[in-house]
Amino acid sequence: MQIEVAGIRKAYSRKKVLTDISFSMEAGSCAAILGSNGSGKSTLLSVLAGVRRADGGSFFYRGTDLLRHPGQIPKVLGYVPQGDPLMEELNAWDNLRMWYDRETLKRELAAGALGLLGIDGFLKTPVHRMSGGMKKRLSIGCAVVSHPGILVLDEPSAALDPVCKENIRQYLSAYMQEGGSVLMATHDAQDLELCNVCYILRDGTLHPYRYDGDFHKLAEELE
Amino acid sequence: MKRTAAYFLAQLKRAARLLPGQILADLTVCVCAGAFVCLLIAQGTVSAAGTRYRIGMVGDLSDSYLGFGIAALQEMDDSRFMVELVPMSEQEAEEAFLRGELYAVVRVPEGLMESIVCGENDRLITYTASQGQQGLGTMVMGEITDIASTLVTCSQSAIYAMQRVLADQGRGDEIGWETDKLNLSLIQMVLSRSGFGEVEVLGYGDGLSLELYYFCGAVLLFLLLSGLLNSALFARGNGALFCFLKARGVGAFRQILGEYLVYLLLVLVGLFTLCLPLSFVLERELLGIPEWEGMGAAPFAAFLPLLFPVAAMFASLQFFLFEAAEGIVNGILLQLICGVGMGYLSGYFYPSAFFPEKMRALGEVLPSGAAVRFVQAGALGKVPGSAWVAVFAWLAGFLALTVLVRANTIRRAG
Repeated sequence: MQIEVAGIRKAYSRKKVLTDISFSMEAGSCAAILGSNGSGKSTLLSVLAGVRRADGGSFFYRGTDLLRHPGQIPKVLGYVPQGDPLMEELNAWDNLRMWYDRETLKRELAAGALGLLGIDGFLKTPVHRMSGGMKKRLSIGCAVVSHPGILVLDEPSAALDPVCKENIRQYLSAYMQEGGSVLMATHDAQDLELCNVCYILRDGTLHPYRYDGDFHKLAEELE
Repeated sequence: MKRTAAYFLAQLKRAARLLPGQILADLTVCVCAGAFVCLLIAQGTVSAAGTRYRIGMVGDLSDSYLGFGIAALQEMDDSRFMVELVPMSEQEAEEAFLRGELYAVVRVPEGLMESIVCGENDRLITYTASQGQQGLGTMVMGEITDIASTLVTCSQSAIYAMQRVLADQGRGDEIGWETDKLNLSLIQMVLSRSGFGEVEVLGYGDGLSLELYYFCGAVLLFLLLSGLLNSALFARGNGALFCFLKARGVGAFRQILGEYLVYLLLVLVGLFTLCLPLSFVLERELLGIPEWEGMGAAPFAAFLPLLFPVAAMFASLQFFLFEAAEGIVNGILLQLICGVGMGYLSGYFYPSAFFPEKMRALGEVLPSGAAVRFVQAGALGKVPGSAWVAVFAWLAGFLALTVLVRANTIRRAG
């Protein structure tokens, strides 16, 4: 297994949000985390991304426990939070330059991940004039700067039109074909078609769920 | 560190885009601040030069000696520049007092002069001031009344003593002549009492002239409120960027470092914008600062570097307030309330020497108080070590608090 997560715990004061999170993923796979609002999906993803500190547990990636070596996380994991981590006054180029050096940026735009995301089409557009889809693609572009083996996305399709969602899914498919693993929290049924495995986060633990295309059944399950 | 530098550069680009608007706002504030300083100085000068206490004189003023005394005070004594004695009826005095046209009323009782001539002390002059006038003026008037009473009583005793001595020595025919001579000497002493002692005016804030005091106050107020002009830099949306930075290895401390340095640059740009019109005004000596008289803008150029540590400290305070406030509107309100409140307590609007003891002590402890001590000492040529320590302690404290708040923001937003 490329990714092994075991026994992750997290509590805020006395409130236990994550009690025992364990799962594993193969390289090139996609896992979806489902759950009702406030169930702890974002907390789980931010713990894995190193934004929050776990109270216990382990997160092995290719044999290295990233929770014990948080300095390794930026090198192997790309994190796209729910909001867009962009500077509104700057254009796409300037936002990317924060993470890429000039030469690498040009190369990536010409024939790399940024080209696949179609960012070269709006390089000079200030973020405040971008559509939601453009912002999300740019956010993913910023997250994949280190060619990470894991991409963690918090509700990547939220408030996007169908065309934008499809663009992002196409990119994620390409990313997985190159051996990357995708872990996403989502409420979108179409995102689930991309995933090999789904989990429902309930009472602080993950419960495997087999999605068969019946969204009503899933909604009932989430309730 | 590479990521921190990249973040700093990105913030610098943001700031560059906001710069034209900020310079425009700075210039507008400079004009307003300039007008404010000129107004304060003009008001202070007029007030210092033109204040005359108008005192109503009522009661038995018919005696010629008393009339001569009042006329002498109003025509010949130095007090005529400060005190105007206006004889009037009880009714007129009461009405004028209620209208606030009189500072106080002096009531001379019936038969006062006869009582004094007979060596009795059974009739008292009453000096009435309104309850609200508990300030320095009332205190000075009380002192003057005491001095006058003492002089009159003592001189009267001297005259009686001299008359007895002359009578005992059988020189009764000389009594009238010698009494007149002694009276004239005493009057001469009273009227020339400005020569009794030397008056030393220390000024405000450890020896600053009114003009330099308000000049320092206005510059500090500009720096204290400059956060309002730079508020656009704090329109940063949600905390997603902070979380993303944290996930990419740029933690709260490095984030704050990158942002603070850019913010400080904006504050310094504002300060330099302020310096341009100030240098122009100072070069032409339009502010009339006595300490810098005849030196043009040169003393200000030497004084300017001392504003940098204070600007850095205020920038850290503003940064902390914006970081702690929820949303930019709350941040602006917090800046305004804290800035104006601290500025007032630390004497930026009005010399803090006139404040009650506890209020003054509070004003000195605040960051604005540390700044005013630093700048005033700098304006006089030497900043003590304790002032440096206070300024840098506040600077470090605010930055540390800001880092804690940011770390908490990341935890909540992540």
